[in-house]
Amino acid sequence: MRASPESPSAASSALPCLVVELFGVPRLLARERVVPASGATLGALAADLVRRCPALAGTALDAATGWPLDGYSFVVDERFTREAGLQLGPETTVILVASAAGG
Amino acid sequence: MAATIGGVHGRLLRVALDERGSSAWTEPIADADFAGIIGGIGLASLLLLHLCPPGADPLGPENPLIFATSPFAGTGITTASKVAVAARSPQTGMIGDSLSSSYLALALKRAGHDALAITGMAHEWSVLVIDDGNVRLRHADDLLGYSAAETSEWLRGDLGTAFRVAAIGPAGERGVRYAAIANDGRLAGRTGGGAVMGAKRLKAIAVRGSRLPPAADPRAVAALARDLAARSVGPATAKYRDIGTAANVAFFNRMGLLPTRNFQRGQFAGAEAISGETLHLEHATGKHACAACTVGCEHHYRTRDAEPETSARVEYETLFALGSLCGVSDPNVVLRAAALCDELGIDAISAGSTVAWAMECRERDVDLGVARGDLPRWGDGASLLRALHQIGSREGIVGDLLAEGSRAAAERVGQGSDAWAMHVKGLELPGYDPRRLPTLALGLAVAARGACHNRSSAYDVDLSDRSDPDADALARAAAAAGSEDQAALLDSLTLCKFLRHSLGDLYEESAALHRAVTGLPTTADDLRAAGAHINEVKKRFNVAQGWTRALDTLPPRLLQPRADGPHIDPAWLERQIDAYYAVRGWDEEGMPAPSA
Repeated sequence: MRASPESPSAASSALPCLVVELFGVPRLLARERVVPASGATLGALAADLVRRCPALAGTALDAATGWPLDGYSFVVDERFTREAGLQLGPETTVILVASAAGG
Repeated sequence: MAATIGGVHGRLLRVALDERGSSAWTEPIADADFAGIIGGIGLASLLLLHLCPPGADPLGPENPLIFATSPFAGTGITTASKVAVAARSPQTGMIGDSLSSSYLALALKRAGHDALAITGMAHEWSVLVIDDGNVRLRHADDLLGYSAAETSEWLRGDLGTAFRVAAIGPAGERGVRYAAIANDGRLAGRTGGGAVMGAKRLKAIAVRGSRLPPAADPRAVAALARDLAARSVGPATAKYRDIGTAANVAFFNRMGLLPTRNFQRGQFAGAEAISGETLHLEHATGKHACAACTVGCEHHYRTRDAEPETSARVEYETLFALGSLCGVSDPNVVLRAAALCDELGIDAISAGSTVAWAMECRERDVDLGVARGDLPRWGDGASLLRALHQIGSREGIVGDLLAEGSRAAAERVGQGSDAWAMHVKGLELPGYDPRRLPTLALGLAVAARGACHNRSSAYDVDLSDRSDPDADALARAAAAAGSEDQAALLDSLTLCKFLRHSLGDLYEESAALHRAVTGLPTTADDLRAAGAHINEVKKRFNVAQGWTRALDTLPPRLLQPRADGPHIDPAWLERQIDAYYAVRGWDEEGMPAPSA
């Protein structure tokens, strides 16, 4: 998914507003395929994601920080990553999925 | 002589079938063998290396059919009740090894044996009955044509429910080269063990026993087993418990990894309809656990359409092979096809891939000796189901051809159709597009049993934060070899690979379990060495059966440039293979040193 076209505002123009794609258990928990979230870094995006989607708190994401719990991972621009400081841009794609990606 | 280590008997049951019936005897398995190759797949591979003559006809009497357990089976360690099956594969001509969760593993150990090796050929269709120390044949004419599940149910009703059964379905009776052996609803599916069993005129094996070998330190085993069982239901297995491997469909499609229309593409427009998420919400009926397993990853579904209801258990591999690979997006059809594969007793990956090959033959107007309209067609569920029925009974020209698998079918048909036969060494590819997974691409090319995600789990590297697209050849080769060794170890301990993320340090924790069960002073390094040794044993078997470097490659389709996605550069692949041989300590042609 690409950046939401209506997302920028005067106050948050520096923060990319993205949609996080959910797969597997996170999708079932959230009952959504995508959830919008903002953040300049992946860690900040995670914190916003858990605020916007409380169903993921304590199940797939840490309730306080939003960072994926054991068993879950972010995939940024089609690469698995655990780098909370990763800078995000308006074209960045973000996926939340189980870490055990294979069979 | 009995074993002096815990968890095993040190006994191999040999059964020879012939015109007069059967003869049975016991041979020792040395403690040193268990230390070096652990059990399970390692033990089965070693026995196969010793017992199968070079050049033995895979469907002839000399090819041994081997079942092996591990020291962990029967100890209460979660997931460890698995039985390894090995024979020279009628599909590949190389090592055919398969692993299945099964109560048969417990029954075989209770019957006083760690492994069973069957040679020869029965004079009539038979059931091999092992009742503690007694071995006999029971006629099986009345069981022919029945599914493995029906056969098992009937035999346990006849012999007693304490018997555990491994059986073949109709496809195994008819020599379909990718026929499976079923146990308790699970399949030893890949490489055609069911065809080997059928060639021996064995419809089933029924085993009952009464004495498990003690572990060296039962209290330590119990404590470690409790801890592992608790972690096995943690977040690392949530995916498997809540949705199952079916969860891969939608994510793989998003990543361009979902093989579609015989690997013509990596994305499928109908993926959401057959995704794990959709099946969970619209078709799920419940889930089950394998023998002695706390994870419970087996998800069951029912069809929901105007046709009579069908129930099926499906995995990701079933969904990709019978769904996207054939262009089929109707979940009801895919569920029926999955149930049909189980009923016939065939490996769904090879079946779907071989049907997809035939669909592409139709698309390209290749002459298979039948009217074009009699061939299966992309996206046509009815023609997929018809082809599976034909395969199971080897019905007509199409059924008999496709029952051979994609490599043999393409060789028979010619007309350039080997260009889209998607196999390595004769074993059809699993549901991962290797054009976007470079470590797996190498792993599939060099794996001893052919293209298999369960023997090369190198996708674990590619689909993780350890992935490095710019890795040099030696680093990539080391990662591929390491994933093979880890898989070989788990398959030999007979621990489920779904536990791999539940174990903090797989080698250290497995060593602790191994010490407690066997009493041997096993270290993590010992287990690393065992994983590598097991893969060396498999390689030596293949070399004895005529393996050459030319077999370590990938299907032509994956090596050809395409407009809409990446391909694998053949020169790049050769460099990775060179590096892999170097990491293994093999020569430039991939041959192990004679003295190793």
